[in-house]
Amino acid sequence: MHDEPLLSVSNLTVDLLTAKSAIRPVDGVSYTVRQGECLAIVGESGSGKTVMNFAPLGLMPTGVTTSLSGSVRFGGRELIGLPEPEIRKIRGKSIGFIFQDPMSALNPVRRIGRQIAEMAELHLNMTPRAAEARALELVKLVGISDPSARLRQYPHELSGGLRQRIVIATALAGEPKLLIADEPTTALDVTVQAQILRLLKDLQRRLNMAMVLITHDMGVVAGAADNIVVMYAARAAERGPVDKVLVTPRHPYTRGLINAIPKREDPIGSQFRGLPGIPPTLGAPFKGCAFAPRCDFAVPTCTASRPPLVPSADGSVFVACPVVNEGRAAA
Amino acid sequence: MIHFISKRLKHSLVLLFLASVVCFTLVVSAPGNVAVLIAELRGAASTPGYVEKVAEEIGLNKPLLMRYVDWLGDAVTGDFGISYRTGQTVSADLPQRMMVTGTLIAGSAVIATLLSLLLGFLGAFWPYKLPDRVSRGLALIGASTPTFFVGALMIYGFSVTFQLFPSFGFNGPVSWVLPWLTVAVLPAAVLSRVVRVGLEEAMTSPYVLTAKSKGLGRTAILFREALPNITPVFINALGTQVGLMTATGIIVEPLFAWQGVGDYFLAGVRFRDFMVVQACLLIFLAFFIVVNLIVDLAVLMTDPRIRRQWS
Repeated sequence: MHDEPLLSVSNLTVDLLTAKSAIRPVDGVSYTVRQGECLAIVGESGSGKTVMNFAPLGLMPTGVTTSLSGSVRFGGRELIGLPEPEIRKIRGKSIGFIFQDPMSALNPVRRIGRQIAEMAELHLNMTPRAAEARALELVKLVGISDPSARLRQYPHELSGGLRQRIVIATALAGEPKLLIADEPTTALDVTVQAQILRLLKDLQRRLNMAMVLITHDMGVVAGAADNIVVMYAARAAERGPVDKVLVTPRHPYTRGLINAIPKREDPIGSQFRGLPGIPPTLGAPFKGCAFAPRCDFAVPTCTASRPPLVPSADGSVFVACPVVNEGRAAA
Repeated sequence: MIHFISKRLKHSLVLLFLASVVCFTLVVSAPGNVAVLIAELRGAASTPGYVEKVAEEIGLNKPLLMRYVDWLGDAVTGDFGISYRTGQTVSADLPQRMMVTGTLIAGSAVIATLLSLLLGFLGAFWPYKLPDRVSRGLALIGASTPTFFVGALMIYGFSVTFQLFPSFGFNGPVSWVLPWLTVAVLPAAVLSRVVRVGLEEAMTSPYVLTAKSKGLGRTAILFREALPNITPVFINALGTQVGLMTATGIIVEPLFAWQGVGDYFLAGVRFRDFMVVQACLLIFLAFFIVVNLIVDLAVLMTDPRIRRQWS
């Protein structure tokens, strides 16, 4: 039990079926998160990073049929195939969620105190009174001034940064072991982003939680994460410790992403460096590497078959690129 | 809050005055001459001379503006004049009739509210499943069946065939059931769609995703998260429907032989009984205005985002 990671995802594939279309936003992705560890999942919009985390926990919009395969083990328990009532007990209790837009993630017509306290009532079997007291503690914990007054307020009376702190307090109310934060700073002002990120990182350490941080901000990754998974078109392109992947990126896509970050030495007024081309749609599965059409290093083998994730010489970084891995066998 | 109410009341008074001008204009320009009808009623031969005498007697020969000013002056003191048809003062007839119509509207509003919430929630709980289809079908039938026909069906079904409820009269709750149901059918149908659509929209919103992530069940999400969000919308729609019930009453009251304001109004129109028509119209308008004021206050109380603008 001690050796098993808190969350271990292996070969997860998600198919979304609507009345009109079928897409595969997650295709055979694996990663693990240990207790007290922070994993960043990066990738551009539509690369499947949100679906990958939400679909196994039953957080998909109604009207979409989700079909999952592979394995998601959380705390020694297989989540795939678990009936919704069982998954619901895990949501909020063992896994807390933080959403991208705090302006719409809180119910506009309910008092903040209630929205936090109901978590403690539901998951910790607290009386409404005890739950209110817990809500007060949580609001203090996330660093909000004048906490008791805030609990009586409504979401529209608070700024975006304060609301995101409330969302965080709500996520913490059930004493979760894992926090899943879906772009928690994207919708915030730049000055507030750093504060919220610092708060999240600090809480994660103090409460010894695991955290999955979904983001497309490399600055966030560098500041908060221990490990990173780089997603491209539903697949993992590269995976490894942050200090290795960010410093010496191996996959051409990761290299492109990091190269696209503006540098201090860049002359003022110079063009932003982007990646040429556009990401593929997820409708049809690819035979080879999905990045090959945009890749400067592509060779014929890239489009021949799907490149497997292959470990580096020291075994810490995994890269799915036939060019980088030339002569190296799959793990 | 006080500021809000006093401001709205001031607006209402202006509105009432303008409405009274419009009513007066409409009523006096309607075809038909009440003096002729009165002369006939008295059994006298309606010779031009006698008709003119009657007209002079009830003040019809005065200039229009004078007639309006006279009427308005009395009306603000609660004196709505004398009914040409019965010779009774209108103010003496009104309180009893207002009580009858009030009972009709209040009961129907409660039934429409309960019924629409039930139907709307059934649909929202099992979207696109059988209960939703049944609820939608009932709403379609309810919204497209004319009220007089609904009333006739009610009488035929519950009174003639099964003899459960009396078909006429105003004698306690048993006799109120059929008129209540008849008036409630249309608003219940319309409001059930408001509930159903509102809930569906709320259920796809980001805060419901948050609620799901908190581990709340479907029932808790519908009642705790979605319902408070559609309450202001529902109250608004309910207010409109309750206002329209005054019009439905004109049809339903005579159907069940209820001596309400609607019935009074209809009789007044038939006899060109200007005083009665004018008084009834003003009561309907005042009722609309009061309902609107109550709706605005209720919305103010259920939506904290609007509340802040006024406190």
